[in-house]
Amino acid sequence: MDERDLINRVRAGDGSAERALYDAHVDRVYRLAYRLAGDEALAQDFTQETFIRAFAKLDTFRGDSALSTWLHTITTTVVLNGLRKVKRFHRREADLEAADGVIGGRRESEPDLKVRLREAIDALPQGYRTVFVMHDIEGFTHEEIGVALGVETGTSKAQLSRARAKLRESLADFAGEWIA
Amino acid sequence: MMMDNDENKFDQWLQDAAKTYNVPPRLAPREEMWAQIQAERALGARRVVVRRSWVRWGLAAAAVLLVGIGIGRWTVLQRSNDGTPVASGDTTGSALVYQLAATQYLSRTETFLTGFRADLRAGRGEAFPGQARDLLATTRLLLDSPAADDQRMRALLEDLELVLVQISQMEAGRDRRNADLITQDMDQRNVLPKLRSAIPAGPVPVRTQGAT
Repeated sequence: MDERDLINRVRAGDGSAERALYDAHVDRVYRLAYRLAGDEALAQDFTQETFIRAFAKLDTFRGDSALSTWLHTITTTVVLNGLRKVKRFHRREADLEAADGVIGGRRESEPDLKVRLREAIDALPQGYRTVFVMHDIEGFTHEEIGVALGVETGTSKAQLSRARAKLRESLADFAGEWIA
Repeated sequence: MMMDNDENKFDQWLQDAAKTYNVPPRLAPREEMWAQIQAERALGARRVVVRRSWVRWGLAAAAVLLVGIGIGRWTVLQRSNDGTPVASGDTTGSALVYQLAATQYLSRTETFLTGFRADLRAGRGEAFPGQARDLLATTRLLLDSPAADDQRMRALLEDLELVLVQISQMEAGRDRRNADLITQDMDQRNVLPKLRSAIPAGPVPVRTQGAT
């Protein structure tokens, strides 16, 4: 079915069209949410919130961009706002633990590439990490990222370049692997 | 040139290696999420209706309190002008208004907290933070009113204020751990039994316009 017809049917209150729209996009939305959140429960929450907002605001979708791009804009907004709240909550918990005298023993960093890479990506500033995940991992174009994050295409490119530079620095120990 | 070549190699290597970053452990749980979306949308529609009735009730309770404060001030002024000493524990119209407002408030809060516990057990609780904020405003009005002159009532209002502050700061019903801590706190302070014993037997005496 044509996407525009589908949208019109959803706007008219057709339940089966809602489900069809959800089925067409849920996997990509969920995968993006998971890649950014790194947690199954959060990814589910963010995906659900994305579709709840999308159905509520579908009347405002003007069709200037693809529906998927519009949905990914909502997804990134929901995920980034949600992660900020989670971060604040964890900081508060950490403060409480510190006040209780609980020493949260820092995990020894493992020399494993996969672990080091994850730590390095997690340590990127939020903007760099989002662009890196969307472009290098999920395959979004800079144009799509620009629309989703509300930034210029050039900003997306610059942030990706800085993200890679930071990762190159963090992963210098593994230089042999890529030079080889 | 060599530098660019290394950078390209790194970028390529990085793109391959990064595919292992936050890989979802399973496919999107479509049915589970769809059921949740439908439930939350239905709840959202209900919440709008519920919210309207709570706003109306909050306004009505606040109006009753403000009338009480007005009558109280007028009475004090009249007595001062007459040279009559102002006694505490008076049984004038203003005291009655405060009493009625307090009774209505306690009854509402009891219903709210009972519903809060029940809905938490059922995994619901989306509307609670907003309703708690409405009740909190009335709690604070009552704390500043002669209704709080009674020490037992003041202690109860302070307990309720604490509980309502915590509920109002929950994150849209998703804060399960905090919710459990709030109910534990309520149990430790015997909030609900104290609240129930403070409500006079029989129906709530006044139903103001807009109360549901």
